[in-house]
Amino acid sequence: MATVAATDTVNIVINDVDLQVPKGELVVEAVKRLGHEIPIFCYHPRMKPVGMCRMCLVEVGFKQPDGSVRKMPKPQAGCTLPVSEGMVIYTDTEMVHRDRKGVLEFLLINHPLDCPVCDRGGECPLQNNTIFYGPSTSRYIDIKRHAPKAFPLSEYVTLDLERCIQCGRCVRFTEEISGDAQLAFRFRGAAMQPSTFKLTDFDSKFSGNVIEICPVGALTSSKYRFRARPWDLETSEGLCLECGNGCNVWLDHRAAKLVRVNGRTNEAINEEWTCDKGKFGHDYYNSSKRLTQPLRREGDRFVPVSWGEAYAEIAAHLGAKSAALVGSTVSNEGLFCLQKLFKDGFGSENIDHRWTRTLPAAGERVAKRHESSIASLEHKKTVLVFGADLANSQPIVHLRVRKGWFLNETRVVVAHSQTTDADSFANLLLSCKPGSLDDLAMGLERAVAEAQKTDVQGFASFKDTEKTTSVKESALREVAAMLLEGNASIVCTASIYNENKPVETLAALAKIAAATGAEFNVYAEGGNDEGAMALGVMTGRNTHEILQDCAMGDLNALWLVGADPLTLHPSRRLAEDALEAVPFLVYQGLLECEAMGYASIVLPMEAPGEHDGTYTNIEGRVQRMQQAVKNPGDGKPAWRVFSELLVRIKPGRPSFSAKEIMDEIAATHPAFAEATYDKLEKEGTPLKPVIENFYM
Amino acid sequence: MAEYKLLLEHSDDTAYRTLDGYRKKGGYKALEKAVKMERQAIIDEVKASGLRGRGGAGFPTWIKWNGLPKEKVGKKHYVVCNADEGEPGTFKDKQLMEETPFLLVEGMTIAGFATQGDAGFIYIRGEFIDAAKALRAAIDEAYAAGLLGKNILGSGRDFDLYIHMGAGSYECGEESALMSSLMGERGMPRLKFPHAPLPTISGLWDSPTLINNVETYTCVPFIVNKGGEWYQTLGAATKNSRGTKIFSVSGHVNKPGNYEIEFGTTLNELLEMSGGMKGGKLKACVPGGSSVPIIDAEMCGRAVLGYEEMSDVKSMVGSGGCMFLNEHTCIVSFIWRTAMFYAQESCGKCTPCREGTKWMLQIMERIVAGNGQPGDKELLLEVCSQIDGRSFCGLGDAAAWPVAAAIRVFPEEFDYFIANGKSMVKSSKDLMLVP
Ligand code: SF4
Ligand code: FES
Repeated sequence: MATVAATDTVNIVINDVDLQVPKGELVVEAVKRLGHEIPIFCYHPRMKPVGMCRMCLVEVGFKQPDGSVRKMPKPQAGCTLPVSEGMVIYTDTEMVHRDRKGVLEFLLINHPLDCPVCDRGGECPLQNNTIFYGPSTSRYIDIKRHAPKAFPLSEYVTLDLERCIQCGRCVRFTEEISGDAQLAFRFRGAAMQPSTFKLTDFDSKFSGNVIEICPVGALTSSKYRFRARPWDLETSEGLCLECGNGCNVWLDHRAAKLVRVNGRTNEAINEEWTCDKGKFGHDYYNSSKRLTQPLRREGDRFVPVSWGEAYAEIAAHLGAKSAALVGSTVSNEGLFCLQKLFKDGFGSENIDHRWTRTLPAAGERVAKRHESSIASLEHKKTVLVFGADLANSQPIVHLRVRKGWFLNETRVVVAHSQTTDADSFANLLLSCKPGSLDDLAMGLERAVAEAQKTDVQGFASFKDTEKTTSVKESALREVAAMLLEGNASIVCTASIYNENKPVETLAALAKIAAATGAEFNVYAEGGNDEGAMALGVMTGRNTHEILQDCAMGDLNALWLVGADPLTLHPSRRLAEDALEAVPFLVYQGLLECEAMGYASIVLPMEAPGEHDGTYTNIEGRVQRMQQAVKNPGDGKPAWRVFSELLVRIKPGRPSFSAKEIMDEIAATHPAFAEATYDKLEKEGTPLKPVIENFYM
Repeated sequence: MAEYKLLLEHSDDTAYRTLDGYRKKGGYKALEKAVKMERQAIIDEVKASGLRGRGGAGFPTWIKWNGLPKEKVGKKHYVVCNADEGEPGTFKDKQLMEETPFLLVEGMTIAGFATQGDAGFIYIRGEFIDAAKALRAAIDEAYAAGLLGKNILGSGRDFDLYIHMGAGSYECGEESALMSSLMGERGMPRLKFPHAPLPTISGLWDSPTLINNVETYTCVPFIVNKGGEWYQTLGAATKNSRGTKIFSVSGHVNKPGNYEIEFGTTLNELLEMSGGMKGGKLKACVPGGSSVPIIDAEMCGRAVLGYEEMSDVKSMVGSGGCMFLNEHTCIVSFIWRTAMFYAQESCGKCTPCREGTKWMLQIMERIVAGNGQPGDKELLLEVCSQIDGRSFCGLGDAAAWPVAAAIRVFPEEFDYFIANGKSMVKSSKDLMLVP
């Protein structure tokens, strides 16, 4: 690491302590170096400072040549003031305390005293600052501002306007972070209130975050309202598996029930944000449709059976002519045990986890799916988002790309046949005709080749490309030039495999990446899809073949592990035929679902937060989630089911814990070598790249 | 001293509002001269004149002009005119724009030359339709005559001038809020130096921006024409106020209106010009627009109109909105009305101003309704001190000063109203300045 040059730091004094801090650092941050604190409301380290609430006023002076200090006549907002040479800061003077009291008195004159029934009570910055710095009584005897108590901004967010202290954090979040600019202030002065522009729904994929950053109980979660008091909550470090980003979350539970999901800081992944799917999409934990015990079909109904009976039944029906299809939230340990069970127990290799129209080739090289870490995307000069709707499928990647654009002048190019949220800020939009992504990629390849003066024989002319894609030559050349400037990243997701000719598209993009030195990513989509790819959960017959085999009567048994082909497979028809035809179907899952109707045996599965396990996110980061809540019934983690069953079929030593399995994975899979429980790091451990050169 | 008509000399002459008439009276001589001058020479002329901002703060104009980068660094330079005249009691810019529009256009063009401005924006208060029309006509004529647009007067330099109408917010007269509004954002103030770069470095669209008041720009043609040396002889009797200043006189006087005077004229002389008091003896005066501290008759007697001189009576020249109040005025009611204005106009950005102005209004409302509580006067002073200097921009200060000053100068009126539930001023009912 480079040492900080003397010119990059300044000498300042904070409360009589001399120190050196980076030039331009905000006063509010500088005091933290001494372990001091300046109370704040509107300031948020991830957003631009605005100086609205005035809670952070401090006294500031400057050292004079004669050694004396000349104080500025007015107190200064510490959250907006950058330090400069010779600055002298006082955070603990009489005036500072008086000003804090003053601001808090002002804020409280219109704030209702409904803390006893407020969700925020107990974890409320306004409460805390009032206790530490506020006046003990109010001199306000006039009528408080009144507003509707619970105004639904959206299905998820409820606004209690009376509690709002107009700090603007929520408004700024939608402007600066999520970028959907959904919120704005209406009216002015004491009547000013945050609101959507046209009083429509707060329509955002990230609305839940404003609940967490609101420093009072004004923005509350419609789902969590009045469900618990903060001091009744227990919280556990969790992971979100709604998509493959691997966001870190807090799983807040009360009396063993999950009641709330909040963002947990992981600078490498989600910083502190969550998307709404992640924050509000964990209904299944407490769903009334939750499967709680093993069931066996008897005629047209299910009867509860013991695990032992279920195992016996399965062992009797599954053999070499059986297969398994896997969903996206099974842990690395579960996937590994499944592989073992099928191979060693049933003598079958037919397992797959892929659900796209075209299946990503089994031989695809590991690191190719993620050359750019999520965090690195914000520092790219150019990001080409190709054929992906990031906000929907990779929300946190979307936020990073936007952050780069917003703060670091990353140029974002979006190439897609449909509109996406990133269009709104893309520096360049290549919107092509549906089904023409492959032609677009090849057109781009030609543009790169021409720019590099390499051979362009065999390429379609730009004219033809424009005909098929409707994208102009000039735009292609512009993108090529951007990529050639270096420090670029091409971002695709596995959804490209649902498009026309993905193999050709990806081949062209790979060549572009090789030619321009750009990083190339085809991020996996589902919660632990990257883990499944890395572990090679795609042996024997593939998904399409397995379903066809079932439909043709070539397979005797099918095991669905947390997956419902009727919703996951592109052809519902095929899925129906397969489930209809297969003689013996095991459905193992969290919730009742349609596929269950075809099952002979139903097994309840534990949700991810109900047991130990590791998951691999899109960038190949292995993260561990420990048990947070208890399974509501008799469910078991997938790995335990597989390992218990295997012991029945092929007597041996069963696995006792997820940790043990992870050790085994590490020993057998070089990519996971560093991912044992004792070595897993706070921010997760990236998979070891096992292939050095992808282009060989 | 008597009236000194420099800016307003030809204000009655309707021909002066046309390019021809304006030129006949010497208009555009200054620009012709300026195009041949070095940029720095123009700025030096402004420096020599001692001109200070006429919008209210009295900041030396040349420092702003001098603050823009001398060499362009790939960014446009903008020249902005603050014509959002909203300070209660002030109506000088309105007259200047309606009756001497070319002075403003010429002044801004010169400013553009001096600071390498590419474009100018006149941000006009939304209600000033007539002013906007007059300026529109003037700008159109100037374009047609090659005095705006490309290659002005064959100088090879370009300058475009645009009009932007405000939408009715006092706060948008605050220069940084004005710029927010001009850029299409909500009219809220932006961070200021030392929290952010000065507008002369990073203003409109992060580009170097010069922003001055209407009256300030209209002074410029005279300064360039007759020289800064000449201009600074006006007001030489004062400590540091040079030139002329237009005062908008209103209230209980016989001839309310705009009066242009040389700095150093006394407040009494101004009162005489405007025909003396009407309906009763002089009781108090708010000399510089509603936000400046009120002064009583005794202070009026010794007030000299100059930036430093006015602080001798603990008040200010401000924007020159001079309101004379006669003996039948209830100061408490007057301040109630003032407080109402600021509570309505607070933009809401910062806590002290947003909550404090509303609270002050509530207390004042209570007092004038006869429900004042013991301690309300002290509470008002406390609230003022919690706003003053703590708010994000000057609006908070502007809301606190008049209240604090009124209590300081007329404490007995507040005490009486609070104790007795009615005004101590007889017959104040008829003349009370209530809405
Ligand atoms: S709702 Fe919350 S975050 Fe938004 S302005 Fe009000 S207090 Fe701030
Ligand atoms: S935290 Fe500094 S003004 Fe709000």
